[in-house]
Amino acid sequence: MVLLLLLALVGSITVPLVARVVGRGAGLIIALFPIALLAGFVRMADTVERGWVRGEGINWATSMGADLTFRLDGFSFLFCLLVTAIGALVIVYSGAYLTGKPRAERTRFFTLILLFMTAMLGAVLAENLLVLATFWEATSILSFLLVGFDNRSARSRRAALMALQVTAGGGLALLAAVLMIGEVVGSFSMAEAVERASEIAAHPLGAPIIICLMLAAFTKSAQVPFHFWLPNAMQAPTPASAFLHSATMVKLGIYLLARFEPVVASVPWGRTTIIVVACVTMLVASLQALRAEGFKSALAYSTMASLGILMLLVGLDGPQATVAMIGFLFSHAIYKAALFFCAGSVLHATGSQSLRSLGGLYRFLPYTALATIGASLSMAGIPPFLGFISKEFLFQAQLESSWDITPLAIAVLVNAVMVGVAAVVTLRPFFLGHGKVTSVKHRETPSLVAPPLILALAGLTISLNPDWITRVALRPAVAAVYGRAVEVEIEVWHGITPMLLLSIVVVSIGALIARYWKAIHIRLNGLERFETHALERRWDLLQASATRGARIVSRWLQNGQLPDYLLACLVGASVLMGAALWAAGALPRMPADVPWRWDAAAVAVIGLAGAIAATRASTLVSAMIAVGLTGFAAAIGFLLNGAPDLALTQFTVEALLVVLLTALLLAVPLATPPTRSRERGWLDSAVVILFSALLLVAVIDMAGADPVRRASDFFGEASYIAAKGLNVVNVILVDFRGFDTLGETVVIALAALLGRSLLGQRGRLDVAPERERERHLILTLTARPFAVLLGIIAVVLLLRGHDQPGGGFVGGLVAALAFAVLSLSEGPTATERTLRVPPMGLVGAGLLLCFGSGLLAMAGGAPFLTHLWWEPTVAGIDLKLSTTIVFDLGVMLVVVGTVLSFLFGLQREAAR
Amino acid sequence: MILLYALVGAGVVGCALHMMLSRNLVRLLLGVSLLSTGVNILLFVAGGMGNRQPPLIRAGETQLGDSADPLTQALILTAIVIGFALTVVFAAFVLRAWRTERTVDGRAVDAAERLGLPRQEDDA
Repeated sequence: MVLLLLLALVGSITVPLVARVVGRGAGLIIALFPIALLAGFVRMADTVERGWVRGEGINWATSMGADLTFRLDGFSFLFCLLVTAIGALVIVYSGAYLTGKPRAERTRFFTLILLFMTAMLGAVLAENLLVLATFWEATSILSFLLVGFDNRSARSRRAALMALQVTAGGGLALLAAVLMIGEVVGSFSMAEAVERASEIAAHPLGAPIIICLMLAAFTKSAQVPFHFWLPNAMQAPTPASAFLHSATMVKLGIYLLARFEPVVASVPWGRTTIIVVACVTMLVASLQALRAEGFKSALAYSTMASLGILMLLVGLDGPQATVAMIGFLFSHAIYKAALFFCAGSVLHATGSQSLRSLGGLYRFLPYTALATIGASLSMAGIPPFLGFISKEFLFQAQLESSWDITPLAIAVLVNAVMVGVAAVVTLRPFFLGHGKVTSVKHRETPSLVAPPLILALAGLTISLNPDWITRVALRPAVAAVYGRAVEVEIEVWHGITPMLLLSIVVVSIGALIARYWKAIHIRLNGLERFETHALERRWDLLQASATRGARIVSRWLQNGQLPDYLLACLVGASVLMGAALWAAGALPRMPADVPWRWDAAAVAVIGLAGAIAATRASTLVSAMIAVGLTGFAAAIGFLLNGAPDLALTQFTVEALLVVLLTALLLAVPLATPPTRSRERGWLDSAVVILFSALLLVAVIDMAGADPVRRASDFFGEASYIAAKGLNVVNVILVDFRGFDTLGETVVIALAALLGRSLLGQRGRLDVAPERERERHLILTLTARPFAVLLGIIAVVLLLRGHDQPGGGFVGGLVAALAFAVLSLSEGPTATERTLRVPPMGLVGAGLLLCFGSGLLAMAGGAPFLTHLWWEPTVAGIDLKLSTTIVFDLGVMLVVVGTVLSFLFGLQREAAR
Repeated sequence: MILLYALVGAGVVGCALHMMLSRNLVRLLLGVSLLSTGVNILLFVAGGMGNRQPPLIRAGETQLGDSADPLTQALILTAIVIGFALTVVFAAFVLRAWRTERTVDGRAVDAAERLGLPRQEDDA
């Protein structure tokens, strides 16, 4: 069973590819696949016939109760047979119906239909309720895709969206019900939930569970007031309507409530609610069926009426109600699918489906007319067709139930309307009104007539020879739903019974309706105030206002103003920090103070002054200088407080920033006229001051925390012993936390890639040669020697980094600075020539070195990035060779390459 | 002393954010650079700055004596480099925006908005 499902899923995706290769006849080939699945299910008939339940499953997330468990009993089996058998006919029919469509479209359609079939099988086989909810949603989504199959039509899109919103909304209700059941029962097993029905009903969550289950069922099975999506869903291609919106998917709601009948019936209002909703649905549907002008929409409303009958039968008590439900579900699936096929053939042949303008089609579509007669006789409940038997069951169930006469009266009326509709859809398009249609676009083909004929014939043969299907499907299905075996007698003639008399009444009224259809139709059509339209319009209004509301909200929240976003972030962060402080309810811990030093204090104050000056600067150049001032002050601050490595790096970065940003400032306008209003300026300042104050408190508290130096102490102790390095900062970077540094290096390399694409040398040939540069005498004279000096410093910094301040990062920055100086004097092109390799080449080589240095140790079985040491004595000098230097060299090359690629890019781009 | 450094760090961050709230993209860029500096100062303060001795093992010793916290410094060192890279990437963005839009006003750079709202055809 699980295997069959898996097969169905894989096949749904792969088999339709046939339609890409084969043109005509693809439907016939693909139909073999659902037929094979049908055969697979029929092989399990033995199990089902004995009333056994076949369970299979895969343990998946047991701790969450989400196991993929499935079970096959009579009820599931009946659905499986219907889904695969009608699925096969739908595929055959679609092959002919979609002849005009391109192959890709047809393939898509077949894929969706087969995927839907799989989802249906999964839904009716699921034993775990989470699995059921998942497949349930899958059917909704596939229905959405099929209704909107013609996605260029606005009406299709609207109908698809409506179907999705209603049915997927019901799916959410189902999910809620399932989760609540899990809460009450402690597992997601359907069998267990049904077994402990009274416990669920007595629980405080009982009423919400039942309401959610009903919501799910009513939306899926198009019960009032959620019915309006179903007639609109007829925008789907007709074979999809036949399959989803009459034969199978809409019956999932019936399936769900039938399964959970014990739970629903445990509360006094459970059955009553179902019966009332069903009766209202039946009435609304009958009226609408008479109002409908289109062939398909008449069928759609009659389907809705049938769903109401099924829902009513679920609501009624007594074994006979279950028998009638199963019988009607079965016969309806067969005759209604056939009628949809016929409606599709009429639409295909004439391009029209108006019952008022069609006529005399039997001459053009004789076999379709025949199939329509057969199916309509079943729908009207004329003996000896299957529909007659199921109608007898229906009346018997109602007579035997504990309910009063109202549902029975409604059922009689509805059945009469169905007789009328059956007569109208048969007689008017095919036999009455000769000469209304004089030619057809498409003739009948075997693939178009075979599926409806087969179904129409099935309605006759099954009722005459019901033995096999009763034994393997109907009787076990009734037993599965009712909970114990019930005798199911499928017989056409029961003698003169009350049911037969009721049938005669129904047919007589139906004949009258058919006779006076046009008058009734026009009279009803004149009535403007119809409830379904009110609901539909309300849905439209809801859509429009939701869209409008979303637009207003996103215009306000997402207005494209960067400062607003940032301000919102700052306010949010301030609120969070403030709340945290408030919650802590304590003053920040004060750090132990260190002796006051005037030099360090002065540097700090200069740094702050630089920052303040930057905010007040009126041109960008002065702002840049002020920012640089803060940077240099920070560097000196690091130097004065025991962090020479940081100082070196910060100095170099600041110097490089000056060179890089100057290139930018050469291009853009320098003046910065104030852009903020006075009020906005105050607001900005207030938020920034608040945020900074909170930050200050937080940082003081952090500094005052008990120093946890376990990691630092370890690094200090092991740095020389384990990693042979005296500069602990550098050892941490290249050795202890080498993997982090590697990641960081990759980030920098990615920045280089980004820079290359932003400042890429696109159309380099078109760029005019660089302008003749104004050469500054002193700069020209000194640049080269200075650059050479910086280069030497860079190498020294790299080499000594392991033991003294220095290392790959700072070495790379200094080396980049050397070339920056050179490019200031000679221009980027000349400098790049001096460099000889493209900057991106350096980045690549650097990454290779970094990774390579780590891989070397792996050859010896050590983990990645374990550094190796080799200390030979050459000519009396002890050498310390290590892979750490290779790693650091890689970092250095990446940094040099990245900075230079930006430098050259910016300078070139700015000089254009 | 620590309080002064914390105050300076927070002040620099505040100034940086104030610059970043500007509509001028270059001021925003300079603000990003300044923010990087300010945050590094705050990290330095939060890591504890009581000791002025650089975390270098003295010649002849095998273990780090009393010194500043090496871990904080390693963190800040990479933060400086990454902050620098961020500033530079942003500079490249600003320059391209200037080249294509001839403006450094953030409000006027709206190439993405000009692509239109999704589902705009529904309005029509």
